[in-house]
Amino acid sequence: MAVSVLARDELRWQAAQERVTIDRSCRGPVLAFCATALFWLLVGSFLALVASTKLHSPYFLTGSPTWTFGRVRMAHLQAVALGWSSLAAMAACLWLMCRLARVELVYPRMLYLACTLWNLATALAVIGILLGDGTSVEWLDAPTYSHPFFVAGVGLVTAWVVATFRRRREQHVYVTQWYILAAVFWFPWLYTVATLMIFWTPATGVIQPIVNWWFNHNFLGLWLTPIGVGIAYYIIPKILGRPIHSYYLSITGFWTLALFYSWAGMHHLIGGPIPAWLATASTVGSMMMFIPVIAVAINHHMTMIGHFHRLKYSPALRFTVFGAIAYTAVSFQGSIESLKDFSEVAHFTHYTVGHAHLGVYGFLAMILFGLYYYMIPRLTGREWYSSKLIRLHFWCSAIGITLYFTALSIGGWWQGRMLNNPNVPFANIVMYVQPYLALRTVAGILMTIGHIAFATLFVINIAGWGRHRSSGPTLFSQPPLPLSSPWPGATNIIGTPSTHL
Amino acid sequence: MESADIAVLLTVVGSIICFGGAAVLALGWAFRNGQFDNFQRGALSIFDADEPVGEPTDFFPDYRGRTPDQDQPHHWTRET
Repeated sequence: MAVSVLARDELRWQAAQERVTIDRSCRGPVLAFCATALFWLLVGSFLALVASTKLHSPYFLTGSPTWTFGRVRMAHLQAVALGWSSLAAMAACLWLMCRLARVELVYPRMLYLACTLWNLATALAVIGILLGDGTSVEWLDAPTYSHPFFVAGVGLVTAWVVATFRRRREQHVYVTQWYILAAVFWFPWLYTVATLMIFWTPATGVIQPIVNWWFNHNFLGLWLTPIGVGIAYYIIPKILGRPIHSYYLSITGFWTLALFYSWAGMHHLIGGPIPAWLATASTVGSMMMFIPVIAVAINHHMTMIGHFHRLKYSPALRFTVFGAIAYTAVSFQGSIESLKDFSEVAHFTHYTVGHAHLGVYGFLAMILFGLYYYMIPRLTGREWYSSKLIRLHFWCSAIGITLYFTALSIGGWWQGRMLNNPNVPFANIVMYVQPYLALRTVAGILMTIGHIAFATLFVINIAGWGRHRSSGPTLFSQPPLPLSSPWPGATNIIGTPSTHL
Repeated sequence: MESADIAVLLTVVGSIICFGGAAVLALGWAFRNGQFDNFQRGALSIFDADEPVGEPTDFFPDYRGRTPDQDQPHHWTRET
């Protein structure tokens, strides 16, 4: 009995040591991506508040072209989509690839260079737009001189992911790895083709908006969505200590997403001057997306079932499950929105803005927050400083995005109904939506408060002001060295000499 | 055809061949490599001896108790 317990402890120690070594190797590069992502989240939140306030208080910050709505809104999009979301998504790729491949992080300098290039590109994009260099092509608003830096940055990350994958010690490719590999393969292709066909060798006529919306929709669907879903497929089972309900379904979900998502972008041009078959094919692709979405929804729900009480105890699970539920909701909504009858009302209204935020914030950002709460303590070896701040962050974000989505969905829907009625004067519609836009600003303030709490926790943790955890629940475990340790002089995971219990 | 049209055509056709081909190759590799042979093993691949199935791994910093279903967080103890 004693021998088997010793052997078990030894196995646990080896496994913990391997995981800790991997996490420690990731620390520098992953934290660089995480910290800069968080910086852009704060910048994006500020720009969002300015843009939102201007919609119901048009005399706010007038007198300077820099702060006009058109520029601020574009700069906000670049800061949050390419700054926050993409950098945090890349941090997720790095850490998860190392953990799942069971290898230490290689080529850290290459990743520091990638991080620098991407941040430089984002800074050029945000500042360039505010100074008037924006391109006015939605989602590709960044000035053309920032494009090479974006391509080089993500190109390096892709090369690194491939290099890590080739070094893997775990031969099984977990579903999260499929999603990550696909995302880092798809995104450089999307970005290069879209910028090539719109800016560098511009296509003529309606091909430009077609390429534009193919990029916009797939930026979410083939870049951010796979990484978000991939994170959830790792975090939820790992926190619960429970394998996902159906691994078969998860693989089916991945391959059907790969097959159908890239068709879907053209539904944003329904009613526009594009070939009717193109919009129809896109609608079909959007409806087919029910397959991967239902697969993911069933899997996440069935994995959680019987364990929902754990949301009370785990900060990372709380954010991740919120994000997973939002993913199901926003995907169902997106498929319905692609129908032509529905588009007749919802198209070109605030309804679409609410939908986009449910996806990028309710789904992706919440899952990224969950990842931070799980990953950062394991990288730094320090506990989060305050549960109260974590709870403040969660509730501000959750209530904020719910209020945002509800206000814009209701206001946007009636805005669309009135726009379709020629008897309603346009000025009446503008006045009607004003209270909903004010609610949007309130929601934005709530979310920003959450982000400030989050940033405070992050800075405290990185600065080393948080306490080390030496016992208790495993935010990370601190195994004792087995008595018969084959590694003399080894230290425990936080770098201090290990003690036997 | 103008040069821009040719560029568009090359981009679209090239993308279809490269990325469609890559997806087919990836799927073929996964089948040959046995990635789809044992789904149960795949689902368990994220767990190890230190963070095994049945042990939750994340709690609020101030958590000190037991969850209602009596699941214990992971503690390191040695039986001798």
